[in-house]
Amino acid sequence: MTQPLIDDASTDTHGTLPAVWAKGLVRRFGKTVAVDHVDLSIKPGEFYGLLGQNGAGKTTTIKTIVGLLRPDEGTVGIGQFDTWRNPTEVKSRIGVLPEEFNLYERLTGAELLDFTAAMHGLDREEAARRRNELLDLLDLLEAGSKMVGDYSRGMRKKIALGAAIIHRPPVLFLDEPFEGVDAVSARLIRRLLQQAAQGGTTIVFSSHEMHLVEKLCTRIGIMVAGKLTVEETPDGLCQRMGVDNVEDAFIAAVGGRTPDSSWYSGS
Amino acid sequence: MVFRLVELKARLTWNGFRHDRQRRIGLPVAAILLGWLGLWLAQAHYRNIILLQQSDPAALPHYLAWTALIAFIVWVTLPVIIFPLDENLDPQQLATLPLTPNQLVAGLAASSLVAPSTIVPLALLAANAVAIGGAWWVSIPASLVFLALLAVGGQLFSATVSAVLRTRRGRDIATFLILGLAAGSFFAYRVVSDTVAELGLAGAVTSTPITGWWALLPPVAVQKAIFDASTGHVGSSLLALASASAGLIILAMTWRRLLGWLLSTPVQQSKPAARARRGGMTIGPWGVVPTMARKELRFYIRDPRQRLVWTGTVIFVGLAIGGAVMNATGFFDLRDRAWAPLIAPILVLFVGLPIALNLFGWERNAASYLFVLPPKPHQILLGKNLAVAGGLAVETTVLTLGLAFFTSQWTWVWLVVPLTVAAIGCQLAVGNLVSVLTPLRLPREGTDVFAQSTEQGCLAIVSQTVSFFAIGLLLVPPAAVVVLTVDFGQALAPWVAVVAAIVWGSVLYGVSLFVSSRLLRRRIPEVLNWVQVV
Repeated sequence: MTQPLIDDASTDTHGTLPAVWAKGLVRRFGKTVAVDHVDLSIKPGEFYGLLGQNGAGKTTTIKTIVGLLRPDEGTVGIGQFDTWRNPTEVKSRIGVLPEEFNLYERLTGAELLDFTAAMHGLDREEAARRRNELLDLLDLLEAGSKMVGDYSRGMRKKIALGAAIIHRPPVLFLDEPFEGVDAVSARLIRRLLQQAAQGGTTIVFSSHEMHLVEKLCTRIGIMVAGKLTVEETPDGLCQRMGVDNVEDAFIAAVGGRTPDSSWYSGS
Repeated sequence: MVFRLVELKARLTWNGFRHDRQRRIGLPVAAILLGWLGLWLAQAHYRNIILLQQSDPAALPHYLAWTALIAFIVWVTLPVIIFPLDENLDPQQLATLPLTPNQLVAGLAASSLVAPSTIVPLALLAANAVAIGGAWWVSIPASLVFLALLAVGGQLFSATVSAVLRTRRGRDIATFLILGLAAGSFFAYRVVSDTVAELGLAGAVTSTPITGWWALLPPVAVQKAIFDASTGHVGSSLLALASASAGLIILAMTWRRLLGWLLSTPVQQSKPAARARRGGMTIGPWGVVPTMARKELRFYIRDPRQRLVWTGTVIFVGLAIGGAVMNATGFFDLRDRAWAPLIAPILVLFVGLPIALNLFGWERNAASYLFVLPPKPHQILLGKNLAVAGGLAVETTVLTLGLAFFTSQWTWVWLVVPLTVAAIGCQLAVGNLVSVLTPLRLPREGTDVFAQSTEQGCLAIVSQTVSFFAIGLLLVPPAAVVVLTVDFGQALAPWVAVVAAIVWGSVLYGVSLFVSSRLLRRRIPEVLNWVQVV
């Protein structure tokens, strides 16, 4: 790589504005309140882990911030831009790792990267150069001419990550980047994310892999039933919960319990 | 267990109706339209039976046999020729449940009848039984056997097509399979209507009776059972009913076997890399709009369903026009019409409509990928429109040249250009608005071409019919101007037609693009919600 992985590491060079923010965010689905008055402020360069049980509101929060779900109340944005007032400005500053089945399955990996680069306004030569670099970096050079639909799960995650960072966004949103990924691909993705974070990229990361959260995140937010109940550093969270690892701290924070194992035996 | 699956289908339909705004509108409208169609067909069938009973009783059994066979064939093939609009239970999801193959087959067949479209055969069967009269203890079970034949036959045919499409070679020949069906049905319709017009109903059915072994075809045997019972031939009636039931069992067993194969055989992947460019998309036009258009064009070729839309429809329409040119279909002789080639742009009404009216539905789940990218809504629409317009322009050119060649009418061929601009402009104008306001959910990418989405409602047929007529209406002014130029004593100067057609198409498109872009900017979450497959 001849250039840093990420350009324009902060949306606010003076550091006075949060890189990602939500104010009084509420999102309902019928009578269910999926996100309940969430206030979020993620500083430039933070590696922020948004955690919660299934259905806690993490994905809804991320989808609202990136402009895929309209908030019922409150505002969300990136740096100085409100997502719903300046969608183009916001979307040109973010990279989103979608669920792997939301990619264009009938484009090849190389075409997907080119398409994404063109949508972000990169010129032809730069797009071709970054595409080749990313395919190499992600160990997808051979697979670059295969349809994404024919990729394994790990390959999909990698090509999706490549597409998310090809324009070197200052803010990255990653929803379950390690879900269903083999150990080799997981390590590659992890290293790439660490490199991006070191370069000053703000990363918002949702995962159930607590050991990775502990290893990667500089701050953790825990959502319970749509509310952001805890925001701490990994160490701070462990101290607060009186445990020695993030997994136990998380379970304590969400009020998890150990199931009664006698159910199977019918007793 | 069969009842449970029927209950599940009913529950899914009801839940969809309660929770999906599209379906709250679409389902009642579809039920009304299908109810009207069913009643119309039923009264025509009833009237024909009574007429034949009075005027030519000997022709009645032949009429009954033919109508049963045609109804069966139409019911079985129609969902494959036009895209299936009803939701169905997914056998893949049911395969993990402790169901025996017989229970699965019976449950899927019975549940497939829990749909508004069942109104049509029910109305026809009721009219059939009442008009023929006779023994109810035969007509009721025979009608139920016929209904079961429709359900099982339809499922077997769809499963067969799905099985063909599982293989790479099958996908390659799919277009021709569907084409053959579509063209065949058109020509069959022409043959039937021409024969009836020439010989009358009684003459037509007696001139080509279904006799011998053909009479054992299950739908024909059902009618024979009902008719024989009404004339007091109880023995032969029961024999025919037994024959129909045996046919039903054979069909069901074949379907069961095929279903077992489908559930245990993975879909063959597309050829890796063989057809894809190694160089990605950086060779050729570049920029947001051209790249969006190129992405669309690649999907037209790579997505079997879209490929089917483009190749199937244009060749089908070409065949119809070819028939008209040769005067083989009984329409009219185009050979002495100077305006014959000008029909081609009007064909854009038929070609590509499913794509132009549902620009975002074809994105399926990838819509969420598209909408986190920064292009402005008008750039997205422009790119997609450019691809559709390119496809339509190519197909119009081919058809125009074909028509001009076969009719030797070259004088007004150049007028095709402004008329094409108007036609494409009208289609895209309506298409953009409909795509943003009522996008339709399609099956997931990578599944079989005819796999049905479990969330698809009846709004598709309503939205597409209304849009079709809207495009037709919008095309009247430019078409009228062109007609006044080439016919009716050439009342208008050609340049007037050229300017009027181009301005009309461009203005309509421009206004629609402006409005649709603004709507899309506000409605991205709604569009996304409608097109994504869960």
